[in-house]
Amino acid sequence: MSNPLLEPIHGISLEDYSAACAKLGSGLSENEVATALGVELPVWQEANLLWPERMKEDSTFQIVTLFGQYFGAADQHPKFSNLQATVSEEGAGNIQKIKTDKDFYQELEVARQVAYDHGLDGASWITDKYGITLGDFQVAASLWNEQIHKDIAADYQKYNQTQDAYKQKYTQLFANAQGGNVADDIEF
Amino acid sequence: MSDTEKKTTQSYLEQLKQKALSQENYGGEIKYEQAGMQVYDCPECGAGRALADGLTVCAYCGFKFMTVTLSDGIHIKKIDNS
Amino acid sequence: MFGFFKNKYDNPALLEEIRQTEEKWFVFLDKLETRLDELCTAAVPELIAVFDQDTDPYKRAHGRMLTGLIGQINQMRQKAITAKEERIIPFMYASKSVLPDLISGAGREYHDRLYRFQMACFDRHHQFEDKINEGITALRSAEGNRGLEATYQQQIAEFERIKDKFLCKQCGGKMSIPKMYFIATYIQCPFCQTQNTYTPSTEMQLLFHQARPLAEQRTAHLLRAYETQHPKNPVLYQQYLRAMFDEWNKITPDMVAENERFYLRLLKDHSINHY
Repeated sequence: MSNPLLEPIHGISLEDYSAACAKLGSGLSENEVATALGVELPVWQEANLLWPERMKEDSTFQIVTLFGQYFGAADQHPKFSNLQATVSEEGAGNIQKIKTDKDFYQELEVARQVAYDHGLDGASWITDKYGITLGDFQVAASLWNEQIHKDIAADYQKYNQTQDAYKQKYTQLFANAQGGNVADDIEF
Repeated sequence: MSDTEKKTTQSYLEQLKQKALSQENYGGEIKYEQAGMQVYDCPECGAGRALADGLTVCAYCGFKFMTVTLSDGIHIKKIDNS
Repeated sequence: MFGFFKNKYDNPALLEEIRQTEEKWFVFLDKLETRLDELCTAAVPELIAVFDQDTDPYKRAHGRMLTGLIGQINQMRQKAITAKEERIIPFMYASKSVLPDLISGAGREYHDRLYRFQMACFDRHHQFEDKINEGITALRSAEGNRGLEATYQQQIAEFERIKDKFLCKQCGGKMSIPKMYFIATYIQCPFCQTQNTYTPSTEMQLLFHQARPLAEQRTAHLLRAYETQHPKNPVLYQQYLRAMFDEWNKITPDMVAENERFYLRLLKDHSINHY
């Protein structure tokens, strides 16, 4: 039985919308996204308001789940295949790497969080340092999500140890950069 | 609480505040644009688009302004299909 | 006689070690708490100042400062957890292992002392955790005034000022924008019937996303009335929700149909989750 909440809005399917959101996150403008979808700005902006409304209405979370899957597959979306935001050569390499190298993704995910914990914008830090945009980072997150859940189920301890090691590495890095933490002098 | 300890907290806080304020927001600062009006004539034959002819196809030469079928949205409705 | 009561266990050094460890733990947490308190007290006015200075509509400088502060507090929290796991708990086990078996009765008072030590240390840790949570709550609620209502009223005034100032891009005829739009939309020229595309200002477009916070601000007193009553009265929540959506609909009347569907979902979720 088809779900009426999954019907396209102005011909923009959930798959189109999800890929468009990923591309907006990678630096494309609203006008570029609208053109790629074969619509004008007012049509895109309506779809861009109405898809989140459908998500709010959907108590089964089916739309959100599918959104995540399609978002992760944005690079394969035919309407956006020829449209990439301009990135440096190094950035392009890292964008490729984060989508193919799980360890690299997991390390940067921790780094990003630790950056926030030290008053930095983690998303900007990743972009400045590795040239990976927020959109590409989120695409990588949805690509690895399922595998990471499997890893945790298979060997929680190993997963935890790796995470802790990353955490320690970046906590040290960011704490040093700010001249230490406020409670460094208090010891048991 | 000694003065040195107070100083640690104060200097940390001052540094954090400056760091928070001086960082550029992701994607750069927001560019504020004024409200505006535009018109899109047919790029093929130069004809304008009238309401009665719908939004999607040029009434004169058949050029497709948009490749989708419009549904009932917020302001744009099914009847706006050409 | 079998000499059961002759084997009284005696280990004053252990008692002293327990006392010292307990004292050390208390002093350690006292120090962390003092630092926490000092940080939060100093940070609250600074957070409000940054909020007010932050020109970004999403208040991201304030957000960065807040997450940085919470990061520091969590660091203190982790310090305490690590000390408990590495020093207190192992000490308990190590001490227990040198005592005579509990059922022998010989080391009874030592077992009791260790139990009291454990309770005292754990209770103190709970108190510390409560302080941590209070600190985080205080920081989270340290915001300046968003001025949502004023911004909204400014935008209404701005719209009134500009709405009749547009000309048709095709024929130059005078056009009037019939209502406040938050997104780009097509408007027909009354003279030549050409579809013009009207794009609201960036500020107006951003305002759309402030509609719900503004409606919540206008009806906050109703939510407070619900939250402060014990036991909770679901009717008060329903009154709040209805009033909030009424305000929301007034701000973005074009979204009434969508808002109402969301309203029904929230109403349903609330009745499932709470009653």
